[in-house]
Amino acid sequence: MEICEQLTTVRNIIQAILKAKKIVNLYPENNPIYIKALKELSDRFSEFFQDNESLKLNIDKNTIFYDSESVYQNSAMLDNLALLFFKDGVRELTFKNGLTAKETEAFIKIISLDFEKDTIDEDVVTLFWEKDLDNIQYIVEDQFLSDDYEKKAMDELQQKTSTPESIEEIYSAIFSEEEGSKNEIILPVTDEDFHSLLEEFDKHNQDKTDKSLNMLFELFSEVEKEQEYLDIVNYFKMFIEFFIKKGNINAVVDVQSRLKKLIDNERTDREIRKCAVKLLSFTGGYSIIDLIGNILNSSQKIEENVFKSFVSFLDTNAILPFMKLLGELKAIHTRKLVIDALVYLGKKDISSLYKGLNDPRWYVVRNMAYILRKINDKNAFTYLLKPLEHEDIRVRKEVIRTLGELGGDKAITSLQRCLHDNNIHVRKTALSALGNTGAAAAKQIIMEQISDKAFNDNSFDEKKQYFEALANWKDRDVYDFLVKMLSKRSFFPGSKDYDNKACAVYCLGLIGRKDAIPILNEYKNNSNKLLREYSFSAVQRIENGI
Amino acid sequence: MAYSVNSETINNATEVINQLAIFLRTAKVHNINNTAVISATDKFVSLVNNIIGLENTIVLEIRGEYFYFNDYRIRYSPEYILNLDSLIREFKKVELGTILIKNKISPEDIKVFIGLFLKSHLSENPFDYLKDGMSDIASIQLKKIQTISDETLDKRKIVKRIYFNAVSFYKEIFNKVRNDEKINLKRAKRVITSVINQIIEQEQILLGMTAIKDYDEYTYHHSTNVSILSVALGRRMDMNHKMLIDLGIASIFHDIGKIEVPNEILNKPSNLNDSEWRIIKKHPKWGVNAILKMRSIDDLTINSAIVAFEHHMNINHTGYPQVENPAALDLFSRIVSIVDQYDAMTANRIYRSNPMSPDTTLRELQEKSWEKLDPLVFKFFVNMIGIYPIGTLVMLNSKELGLVFENNQDFLHRPRIMIISDNKGNWIKGHLVDLADKNGNDEYLRTIIKTMNPKHYNINLAEYLL
Repeated sequence: MEICEQLTTVRNIIQAILKAKKIVNLYPENNPIYIKALKELSDRFSEFFQDNESLKLNIDKNTIFYDSESVYQNSAMLDNLALLFFKDGVRELTFKNGLTAKETEAFIKIISLDFEKDTIDEDVVTLFWEKDLDNIQYIVEDQFLSDDYEKKAMDELQQKTSTPESIEEIYSAIFSEEEGSKNEIILPVTDEDFHSLLEEFDKHNQDKTDKSLNMLFELFSEVEKEQEYLDIVNYFKMFIEFFIKKGNINAVVDVQSRLKKLIDNERTDREIRKCAVKLLSFTGGYSIIDLIGNILNSSQKIEENVFKSFVSFLDTNAILPFMKLLGELKAIHTRKLVIDALVYLGKKDISSLYKGLNDPRWYVVRNMAYILRKINDKNAFTYLLKPLEHEDIRVRKEVIRTLGELGGDKAITSLQRCLHDNNIHVRKTALSALGNTGAAAAKQIIMEQISDKAFNDNSFDEKKQYFEALANWKDRDVYDFLVKMLSKRSFFPGSKDYDNKACAVYCLGLIGRKDAIPILNEYKNNSNKLLREYSFSAVQRIENGI
Repeated sequence: MAYSVNSETINNATEVINQLAIFLRTAKVHNINNTAVISATDKFVSLVNNIIGLENTIVLEIRGEYFYFNDYRIRYSPEYILNLDSLIREFKKVELGTILIKNKISPEDIKVFIGLFLKSHLSENPFDYLKDGMSDIASIQLKKIQTISDETLDKRKIVKRIYFNAVSFYKEIFNKVRNDEKINLKRAKRVITSVINQIIEQEQILLGMTAIKDYDEYTYHHSTNVSILSVALGRRMDMNHKMLIDLGIASIFHDIGKIEVPNEILNKPSNLNDSEWRIIKKHPKWGVNAILKMRSIDDLTINSAIVAFEHHMNINHTGYPQVENPAALDLFSRIVSIVDQYDAMTANRIYRSNPMSPDTTLRELQEKSWEKLDPLVFKFFVNMIGIYPIGTLVMLNSKELGLVFENNQDFLHRPRIMIISDNKGNWIKGHLVDLADKNGNDEYLRTIIKTMNPKHYNINLAEYLL
């Protein structure tokens, strides 16, 4: 290969390095673009190694040289490949024939790191060294080496030089047998020792949570000064955040449980108890719940019982952070965990939950209505009135269900209004909620609605919903109402009358009273097909006890 | 083109080197016609001929501190590390750089080679002696080790520089911690990396540097020594690079809590009273404090904090701090604990006019602290530091006085010695002798008969070891 051709090949390699460097940061390892970029780079290297045993690059601040010729030039401070190596002391970089795809990938992954980030504790050289890449060698200028201390230390030592006279002293001591010994310690290292070491390495690499926590609590038990209290609280906070970032909620539960024991122990020092309370409260603060949110939004699995234990130690200060999280959660499957947490915590301070009903996001309001329903505190009624008017029907429906379960006169009055909602699904939900209350007032409302002239304007489906709701009361009142309705001559003859009667028949079937069978049998042969079919079904339902 | 490497090649390579080392060692101890030597010869020849059948050629070459087998660098696995180390040393001693085997060999060929190899030590030009002797054996070709530049030759100078820079850097770290300033961990890791590189390439020189205890700034030198000895021990245990860096960092900070201990207590010339001891015993906890204040939590911080906390705890749960729920000590803590005690016991301190000699310290640790120290780690430590650690003053059967200069990993009781007096007791400026060297009658030329503490006689080790 001519030198010109070689230079072109080397420049192509540099370009392929730059391209791969960008791509590995953008795509996951299994992405075709990622794979292609690394393959291209490997191909470039292979092309070069067809005629050469190694590729030696000399690094300057802004330039990379091959065989004294510049193959890369960039004077920018950012994204400067030459500077990336130069600033960490790399002056020569050699790729050897035999370079594997794995080594190429490891090299690219290292140089594509953002070394300006505080979280990266290594520089390029340390990372190359850690990887111990056989076919990538580098020469480094260690700028941190200086002679200053060496000179000082050597001067000190010079002043302590021994004198030849002391040799005589040693000689006389040895021969007078006052001095000297010879005891050899022989401890041969065996294969078994190397096996034991491997076990030790395994143990060393295992989780050190328990050890760290024991250490922290030991420190905690001995703090004396005010500053020490502040420090220890800060360390605990750092550890809690660290555990959660690693997805180790179990460790946080362990911390919480030990803090709780300290708080509950009467003999605990007052200041320590104060710190423990503060820390326990910290576990329910925004920073921690946000981190929990990261886990819930990720693919990391979270064990439900561990999460429940975590929540069980939290105080009411966790309500607002959890409500915030509810608005930010992307993963639907983990939403239930947060909702359950809020149900648990909300019982301790329901008023904090009401704020969630004003959230601009419809799904948060809906979840809050659900949570209030699960808590089942009647005081929630007042706060549910506003979302009852929410523009989103999913919210209105959820609030209606909650009101239905809360029950009470005020709730029933509100539900009655919902029977006139402009959305049929909302109206149906309200009917069902009224039915679920089981209250006499609700029954009365439904019967009045059915008796109202306007009722006839409803669709058959909606009418049927009314009677379904009414069937919740299996009492005489309802029975009589239905029987009366069947026997009554309608002012509105025609299909609408048959619709109403079919619904009444349907309702009698749902109620299931046997004394209704003779009445229902009368309609089994009715000329109206709908009434005939509904009567037949109702009789069968009652007779079969469905 | 690069040699394609498969697992069989790797096994073959490691086995050849291992067998050669065993073979050489056996031949050194026994006569060439001894059954053990003959058995080792046959085993080696059979192994080599098998490989020749498969690969046609064997090229065993030294490059730097590594063996290359048919261009493939041999990785040091734990069970072979001592054999690899010793073989490299033996090759270098006779300036042998490459053995090239092209055809099948016979036991006789190998007997000739080994006989010449062992005798070549006595020749002024060992390689020429070996090569000339082998000239009739066509299947084995030898090449001299590549000459290295003057700059590389002066390795001792480089090691010295790395050592003092490490001390200087650790001093800077201590000052930063004292002033609540942020520590540049990238730089700390680079310093550790440079130290580890020296341990890999020049372990004995660097260990020699830690044997000098006459510096004024004890704290920084002690931390540096503990860090170097810990990493060297970690390497002997075959830790990977990442573990070595972590161990290096953790060991630097093991005593960082002493920053909080008043100087008048640390440097008190007389015995400490109870209240002063109580303060001293707090330094592990203060160390944890300092480390946690220094940086955010990650695995490295946790490892460092655990080492600072546990380095005065013993495996039998004695020591300090005493804790409510004692658990097994961390591996790094057990390493640092042994190394820390060894370095501290051999050091000059204001309160101790007579520091122990290195070999007495080892004995003391073994006898008095056996139940407190991890026996496995201690075993590796003794094998690294040697039965006669560097800096031990010895009387030889030749009536010469010397200082242990370098250990011989094959024969721990036969280290290399720097002679400081002749057999009449005349002071001489040191020259090196190898206690493993034999005369023509297969007898050792020199043997240690007594060890003494150089400190008792104001011998300045720096003069010889630096």
